[in-house]
Order: sequence, then structure tokens, then C-alpha cells
Amino acid sequence: MGQQVVREGQYLAVFNSTHRVLKAESLLKSSGLPIMLIPAPRAVQANCGLAIRFDEEHQDVIMELLTVQNLLPAFLCQFINNNFVTIREYQHENH
Amino acid sequence: MKTIDCRGQACPTPVIATKKALEESGSSIRVLVDDGAPRENVGRFVRNRGYQVIETAEADGWSLQVTGSVAAEETAQSNVPASASGDKVLLVTSDRLGDGPEELGYLLIKNFIFTLLETPQQPDRILFLNSGVLLATEGAETVEALKRLEERGVELLACGVCLDYFKKKDQLAVGQVTNMFSTAEHLLTASSVIKL
Repeated sequence: MGQQVVREGQYLAVFNSTHRVLKAESLLKSSGLPIMLIPAPRAVQANCGLAIRFDEEHQDVIMELLTVQNLLPAFLCQFINNNFVTIREYQHENH
Repeated sequence: MKTIDCRGQACPTPVIATKKALEESGSSIRVLVDDGAPRENVGRFVRNRGYQVIETAEADGWSLQVTGSVAAEETAQSNVPASASGDKVLLVTSDRLGDGPEELGYLLIKNFIFTLLETPQQPDRILFLNSGVLLATEGAETVEALKRLEERGVELLACGVCLDYFKKKDQLAVGQVTNMFSTAEHLLTASSVIKL
């Protein structure tokens, strides 16, 4: 049964730290950006990850804000043709 | 073979009509639906219950021939009401899951509801009481996922007294308003009740 939570073309910033993703969610929402915090779909990763879902048009603004505030995710992927394609992985200390 | 015509009907009506027709006739029925979501949702709903489906394209939609769930046939023949032998009810009495920090509790209930879209098993019905009703009101982040569940045939019922208390009786975004009598009945006739 496929997931229906992420639409074609949408991005997921996938986090492994709950506290980190909650801070990121709070930051992005208070900046007025249309995002939603969802559990990472099974197809993305096996463990209980959390992800911030957003549309392509907001990608630049969102990733820049997360970079500046030091709240980058573990990786960024995009839902294309029924597959989650990893766009970029991030290395940082407090993961 | 009984035929029901669900063409032109918006979700979740086709699934609900199919569910009812199967409960009444117990075995084989034919369902006429529009292409797209109605066809997918009805197909998924009956397959999840062990039925076989043969889909035929028609000039103006699809004809789904539904046959064969052994469990359902036994139920129909034994005169036991369907709800007493199968209904799985989820009881949601808060918009938080667990007794820890609010932030975590809200995150957990949201995650749970979203995850229900990925599990092969679905509850038959979700009852919302107390602050649980807020999860189904306009603006709640869980509305999107709850709508998908409703399209798949999960019945969503929100307590009217609670909605009224929160002054949101006219802001129910998904599911139906229910009362304590109906809630009690659903709990007592369910085969299993899971309280979150």
C-alpha cells in the first residue's frame, strides 16, 4: 500500500533527532513557511525518523534558513515518479 | 448478483455504499464506479477484507465484480451482526498521546494517524472524545490524513458535546458528529477497542 502523504515533486528534509526537527519546525512555521512535520514514510528509512515536508517552490528559502540557524536535516530527498530520491546528505556534529 | 451504482458519487460514499451492500448480501456484488480515486478506494477496501475483485472498464466508468471473502460469507450465514464479529474501534480521547510533555504527546498522535495510512490494517471506526475531537476540526494538521482514512472506508465519529464545548461544532472538517448513545453502542458491539 503506497503512502499518500507526500505528493509528486514534494521535498522531505529527514531528521534523526526529535529535538532538532521540533526546533526546525518551530523556526520554519514562525517564519510563515507552509511546511508540515510528518513521520518519515517507510520507503524513506527504516527507523523512526521525522521529516519536514514542503513544496519545491519553497526549497531554497527553507534550506537557507535551516543552514543559517544550524538546523540542517540528516538528508534531503524528493518524491519523483513514486520514489524518494536522495538529493543531498548533510554531515554535522549534533545529529 | 446485486449491483450498486456509485458513479458520480464523491468519496467516501462509494466505499460506504460498498461496505453496506456487502454486509447486506454477504458475498458477491457488482459496484459501478468512476475512474480514479473511487475505483482505487473501493478496490483497496474490499481487497483488505479478503475479497477478490475483477475490474472491467466500461464506457462511462468501471465495473468492479466483488467476490469471495470466506470470513464475510460465514458471518452473513450465521446471522451474527457484522459489527459483533469484526469491528475494530480506535478510541481517541485526547489530542495528545501519552502523559509526558505536551509537545511530544501531540507529535505522537499526529505520527500515529499519519502512520495509519501506511499500515495494511485499518481500524473500522475511530471515535473522538474530549480534546480528541480537535484533531478533526478545521485547521488541525491531522485533517489531511483523516480525510484519506475516511476515503478508505474508516468511519470517523466526533462527540457533539465535546465539539460544542470547544465551540467548534460547525468546524468539523472530517467525519460525522455523534452522541454518547452511539459512542457507547459502538464500543459495546466492537470486537476490539484500542484506546490511545
